[in-house]
Amino acid sequence: MSKNLSELSGRGGIVDNLFEKMGNAAEKSGTVSQEELDRLAKEFLVGKANTYGTVTAYDFMKPENKGKKAYICNGSACLCAGTQDKVMDSLSEHYKREEIGHMTCLGRCHENSAFHIGGVNYSGDASQKMSEIVSTQGALQPKDAYNVGSNKELLTEAFTDVDAYYSIIHDVLKRSPEEVLGEIKDSNIRGRGGAGFPMGVKWDFCRKAESDTKFIICNADEGDPGAYSDRYLLEERPHSVLFGMMVGGFCMGAQWGILYIRAEYPESVDIVNAAIQELRDRNLLGDNILGTGFNFDFKVIKAQGAYICGEETALINSIEGQRPEVRTRPPFPAIQGLFNKPTIVNNVETLAAVHWILDNGGSAYAALGTDKSTGTKLVCLDSFFNKPGMYEVEMGTSLRTVIDDFGGGFKEPVKAMHIGGPLGGMVPVSKIDDLAIDFESFSTNGFLLGHASVVCIPEKIEIIKYLEHLMEFAAYESCGKCFPCRLGTTRGQEMFAKAINDENYKIDRDLLNDLLDTLQEGSLCAHGGGIPLPVKNALHYFEDELSQYLA
Amino acid sequence: MNRIAYINNQPHAFHEGETILKFVKRVTGQEKIIPTLCDAPNLDPFGSCRVCSVDVALEEGGKTKTMASCHSPVAAGQYIYPDSKQVKKLRKNIMELVLTDHPLDCLTCEVNGNCELQDVAAQVGIREVRYPEGKNHLDRTKDLSHPYMTSDMSKCINCYRCVRACDEVQGEFVLSMAGRGFDSHIVKGNDLTFMESDCVSCGACAQACPTSAISDVFQSKAVHTEETTRTICTYCGVGCNLEVNTANGEILSIQAPYDAQTNGGHTCLKGRYAFKFYNHPDRLRSPLIKRNGKFEEATWDEAYTHIENELNRIKAESGPDAIAGISSARTPNEENYLMQKFIRAVVGTNNIDCCARVCHSPTALGMQRAFGTGAATNSISDLEHTDCILVIGANPTDAHPVTGVKIKQKFMKGVTSIVIDPRRIELAKYATYHLQLRPGTNVAMLNMMLYYIISEGWVDDEFVANRTEGFEALKKEILALDMDEMERLTGVDRNLVKEATKAYAASKAAMEFHGLGVTEHSQGTFAIQLIADLVMITGNIGKPGAGMNPLRGQNNVQGAADMGAQPHQGAGYLDVTDPEMNHRYNTFYKREVPSHIGYKIPEMFDAAINGDLKALWIIGEDVVQTDPNTNKVIKAMESVDLLVVQELFMTETAMRATVVLPGASFLEKEGTFTNGERRIQRVNKVVEPLEGTKPDGQIIIDMMNRMGYEQPDYTAKGMLEEISQIVPFFAGVKWDELGQNGKQWPVKPNGEDTQMLHIEEFKNGKGQFAFYSFSESKELEKYSKDFPYIITTNRELEHYNCGAMTRRTGNVDILTEDVLLIHPDDATKEGIADGEFVCVESPRGKVDIKALVTDEMKPGILSSTFHFPEVMLNIITSDEHCSEAMCPEYKVVSCRLRKSKGKFKQMAEASTVVTN
Ligand SMILES: Cc1cc2nc3c(=O)[nH]c(=O)nc-3n(C[C@H](O)[C@H](O)[C@H](O)COP(=O)(O)O)c2cc1C
Ligand code: SF4
Ligand code: SF4
Ligand code: SF4
Ligand code: SF4
Ligand code: FES
Repeated sequence: MSKNLSELSGRGGIVDNLFEKMGNAAEKSGTVSQEELDRLAKEFLVGKANTYGTVTAYDFMKPENKGKKAYICNGSACLCAGTQDKVMDSLSEHYKREEIGHMTCLGRCHENSAFHIGGVNYSGDASQKMSEIVSTQGALQPKDAYNVGSNKELLTEAFTDVDAYYSIIHDVLKRSPEEVLGEIKDSNIRGRGGAGFPMGVKWDFCRKAESDTKFIICNADEGDPGAYSDRYLLEERPHSVLFGMMVGGFCMGAQWGILYIRAEYPESVDIVNAAIQELRDRNLLGDNILGTGFNFDFKVIKAQGAYICGEETALINSIEGQRPEVRTRPPFPAIQGLFNKPTIVNNVETLAAVHWILDNGGSAYAALGTDKSTGTKLVCLDSFFNKPGMYEVEMGTSLRTVIDDFGGGFKEPVKAMHIGGPLGGMVPVSKIDDLAIDFESFSTNGFLLGHASVVCIPEKIEIIKYLEHLMEFAAYESCGKCFPCRLGTTRGQEMFAKAINDENYKIDRDLLNDLLDTLQEGSLCAHGGGIPLPVKNALHYFEDELSQYLA
Repeated sequence: MNRIAYINNQPHAFHEGETILKFVKRVTGQEKIIPTLCDAPNLDPFGSCRVCSVDVALEEGGKTKTMASCHSPVAAGQYIYPDSKQVKKLRKNIMELVLTDHPLDCLTCEVNGNCELQDVAAQVGIREVRYPEGKNHLDRTKDLSHPYMTSDMSKCINCYRCVRACDEVQGEFVLSMAGRGFDSHIVKGNDLTFMESDCVSCGACAQACPTSAISDVFQSKAVHTEETTRTICTYCGVGCNLEVNTANGEILSIQAPYDAQTNGGHTCLKGRYAFKFYNHPDRLRSPLIKRNGKFEEATWDEAYTHIENELNRIKAESGPDAIAGISSARTPNEENYLMQKFIRAVVGTNNIDCCARVCHSPTALGMQRAFGTGAATNSISDLEHTDCILVIGANPTDAHPVTGVKIKQKFMKGVTSIVIDPRRIELAKYATYHLQLRPGTNVAMLNMMLYYIISEGWVDDEFVANRTEGFEALKKEILALDMDEMERLTGVDRNLVKEATKAYAASKAAMEFHGLGVTEHSQGTFAIQLIADLVMITGNIGKPGAGMNPLRGQNNVQGAADMGAQPHQGAGYLDVTDPEMNHRYNTFYKREVPSHIGYKIPEMFDAAINGDLKALWIIGEDVVQTDPNTNKVIKAMESVDLLVVQELFMTETAMRATVVLPGASFLEKEGTFTNGERRIQRVNKVVEPLEGTKPDGQIIIDMMNRMGYEQPDYTAKGMLEEISQIVPFFAGVKWDELGQNGKQWPVKPNGEDTQMLHIEEFKNGKGQFAFYSFSESKELEKYSKDFPYIITTNRELEHYNCGAMTRRTGNVDILTEDVLLIHPDDATKEGIADGEFVCVESPRGKVDIKALVTDEMKPGILSSTFHFPEVMLNIITSDEHCSEAMCPEYKVVSCRLRKSKGKFKQMAEASTVVTN
């Protein structure tokens, strides 16, 4: 969070972007050459240490990534599904071990067996055609299929065509930003990225910040294993997202809408770029849009593999070509964000709701769902369900309805569900009937709605192993900035691993509790702060299973 | 708004924007009440260690939330519990985690006893580490590659303080974290050693590091210190405060005090690390008298007698005007005062000058003409209030490093910035506008700027009407200028000039800085007056964040001139030819002081050569190596009967002396230095003078007494008492009242000092506009045909002037030689490769020097330094000087080039073999 680096990186604006240049430079060999790093350091005046420091923090740019040709998904859903050993075997027939890297969640949690070769994602039974995939390199692009359903279609509403969809933009741009923002506030919509912060309030902060340059960023770094609802929106409803950003830009006076899309979703990048082109073709972008004096354009930035970039300040650092580390707040991004300018970061799903809100009115939206959680929520179900898929449900819908009516129940015995990503709670099946899909229901029961992805933990998987996997993920994806998380996640992982592997070793309960409290209370961000929740849930609900490892 | 928050349920008022940490510290008065590790006094809060966590509730005893106090602002109505049971436990648990990856060998650690990690561990009461052994970084090896900087990353706790110091303080970006999570680790450059990296050895990271992970060869954080003395750096005019650690009368290391107004915890490598010259074996330790061409050691008495006899003889035979003195801008005010007093009142001549002649004499003269005072109008701290910075002919990141990096910080943060310089200096890379003019065309450039301001209507009419005189005449002249011609002369696109000028004129407060790139020209004084025009015409003076601010070169060059070490003005700038002033001096000194102006330095050399000058006394200045046209200077040195040189080392000048007197360094004496912002600061004695040497002031006093003038023995306090009675702007300066940060003159009799000049009116009433048109340097007129290249001289960060001091420190291992900067096109044209020796020839002579091919220069323009006697670059520089102030034209020298032959060719080949 160097102010100097933010400013220097910002001199090229978002068009001449350091991070993008690094990403492009890494495209071929998997990492950026020393010469290129030094050249970029000179071009952007940021020093060699910084370009080096940055690339070493990303899975797809770091030197160790050099020569990687294929990536296998090691996300929680694929692991629980137990499909990846087989995928690895078939990958190994074509690649040396050192040519195979990891990607954490390709968003194929509904059919698993996920892997990535040459910029294309594969899953389901694709690994059976491995030879063909490898030999034709990209020619084969099988589309994955998942169920989509809803008990209240807002985000999943059928999309007709671009012109019809944008017809309301004329009216919107004729209204005053305050008025439009009023609708958003009326809707009471809360952020879907995890923190649940009211979108209208956030936009208002940024609107009031004085600056000739502002940004609105779409956080499309959906990193939570188990979640693919943002991917659904990016690929199936890209215009909902773009529309929301444009309106946001209008409300707060931002000239740029930036979509930060994870590299693990290559299709999303292409589809969004194509959608932007559709807008450009219709003169809906650029200066003085529709003669209203509103200037707005889009830029897609492809992420490079770091879960923490989903955290908004790390994401901002990332776009600046800085290390993806979490910033302290204040200053809040709405006041001082990208390139030190006022910036709004919103989740894909939050932004996608804007069209419906403006079409139907803020109060119509507020009337949906519960008092405090208005509207609808997308929920992703993994392959342990009979009908895996992505479902849009009105807030307040019972979890039982989601599991049974939409998901069609479990395929095989499941003991718990990890809901809301790695930092979400571990919900034992016994609690299903206590929960409904809304922020309050989950938090009062000691869980977290988060992004509402559901990863099932089957009976056959030991909880301790799942916890070890979770801690490994937390340690691997820790940005490393704050002491509790940098050190604590590793020590936690080591303790679980030792307990599994060394029968003479028992985890000291006090120490584990101290560690979890230290992470929870002491961490700078919700990564380190959030990881204790599922562990504590596990300790609470699976005491019988875990007690053998504890002392 | 109600600004009350509660600490342990007691209400206290807080300041707007105050962090909880600052609030609690301030209210309790306890610096360490809340432990911290990643926080540092001169860095922005960062929030990585989390040991500063406190509990915060919204009502008394209510539900608490844990917050990191260092970066969380206090809010009204908060109930803060800085030492609740939970936070104490949290801190302890964090420390336990830290110790799982830290060597447990404190007893053998360099910083044992002065380690923040140790302190915090003790404070939180950690007793054991309960975690099973896991991954760690204890096997990292030390980096001992560098003459100063060291690292032992096994001791690193990942607090990022070093990275932030290198970024937020120095602005060099040498350090970063690399990797992610548990693997994250500090790197220098792209994982290099200190020596291979772009580190400029400022030491900010070492000072910031809470452990011994980054340190220096002097182990400046170790506890072997017995005593710490605060004093002022002897190198440049920034005037950094230093804390010098000593034991057994020996200097161990130097650190920078955080509360210093000039440098706030920062220094450059010269101030912090380049002190080992002080007891270098080469130090002169006995007076020397040259007999039959050879120096012989002499007692002080013998030397004094010899000098006394010679001076008396010369005075009797040729009159006092056959004697001259050159005082030293490196020595304190008190000693400069004494030297000029000696020359004026005891010898009886105004033949006294100092090195201000060769640097900022045009500034003093030009600014006196325009404003009445020849010194910086504002303070460096005004950088906090400016929205435009104009740097003309100065390279402060090398020559005034601590101020330079403050300016660079502003440039990087996007303050409108303009650099006018023939070279793409460090600052130019970060500037909004770089006007890369041809050397010697400052006047044309400034004319252009004034032209656009007047023709485009960007004049501050109110200021011009109320505060100035002579605008109409200026306007007429300026509007008659031909911009085509100016554009051709300067070589800078007029639209760029116009845009930059507009930015300067349009800003609310624009601050000007300049250096020798303005003064060291035949039109130096004129350029200064035109800058004054620019400042006045836009109303950028007499207000915060504005002004005209010369970056004074040597540590006390401001003071040397203030004290009267110049031939036309006595102590306090009083005109020696004015009968009233003359009377004042006569009464004060109780001697008849002459009322005709004496020789300026170049005139002294001429007079020596033509036989009018018989004796010259030089204190601490190597005129042979640093004044232009070396061969002529040597001739002058050899022409006089008596050449007394007071020195630390056997310099090129001292070698040619008849008597050498061993002086004392700044570390061995007391007095005051006046920095570039008129700040008079206390130089405190750190160690006793080396055996055989004497403080320079005492040497002068000894001579004064011998020659019949009663002058009490030297004390800084006593001298200041005397000075304050004759120098008007020192009226209220008292040794005991200068405090830690000194006072900025003028200091009123009641002791009140002055941060900004000319607020209501100028010293001389109305500001004076003046117009001067461009005229080509005679050097180019005469020689550019046969000597088509222009070489302009500059300075490097690592060395100071003749390098007598810095070359006797580790700095010489960092920058080993002078080099010639040459544009790639020129190098190709002349068939010169990077690293090859080039013979540079001017009408005066030739030197052989290694080429450094760089696009920092424009084609046709070369640049070099004169820090090393091996090159003696001043052999080629010219005699031309400012028509008004006689400041030499170091910046425009005609020359031609060819590949070196003979031994230099072999040397180049030999060195490439070594480097390969
Ligand atoms: C470790 C971590 C990971 C996160 N990942 C994401 C993510 O993948 N997508 C997302 O939209 N928000 C993510 N967030 C939340 C963002 O920081 C931010 O709150 C959100 O993008 C704001 O958008 P919203 O207000 O529309 O929810 C994450 C936060 C943390 C602490
Ligand atoms: S909690 Fe983890 S991810 Fe978040 S700032 Fe700290 S180290 Fe980084
Ligand atoms: S010494 Fe100065 S320049 Fe070198 S790494 Fe440390 S802070 Fe940076
Ligand atoms: S080297 Fe020192 S200052 Fe830098 S991160 Fe490590 S402990 Fe902190
Ligand atoms: S040389 Fe100048 S900048 Fe460096 S420490 Fe000394 S006074 Fe400060
Ligand atoms: S001092 Fe506050 S987090 Fe380190």
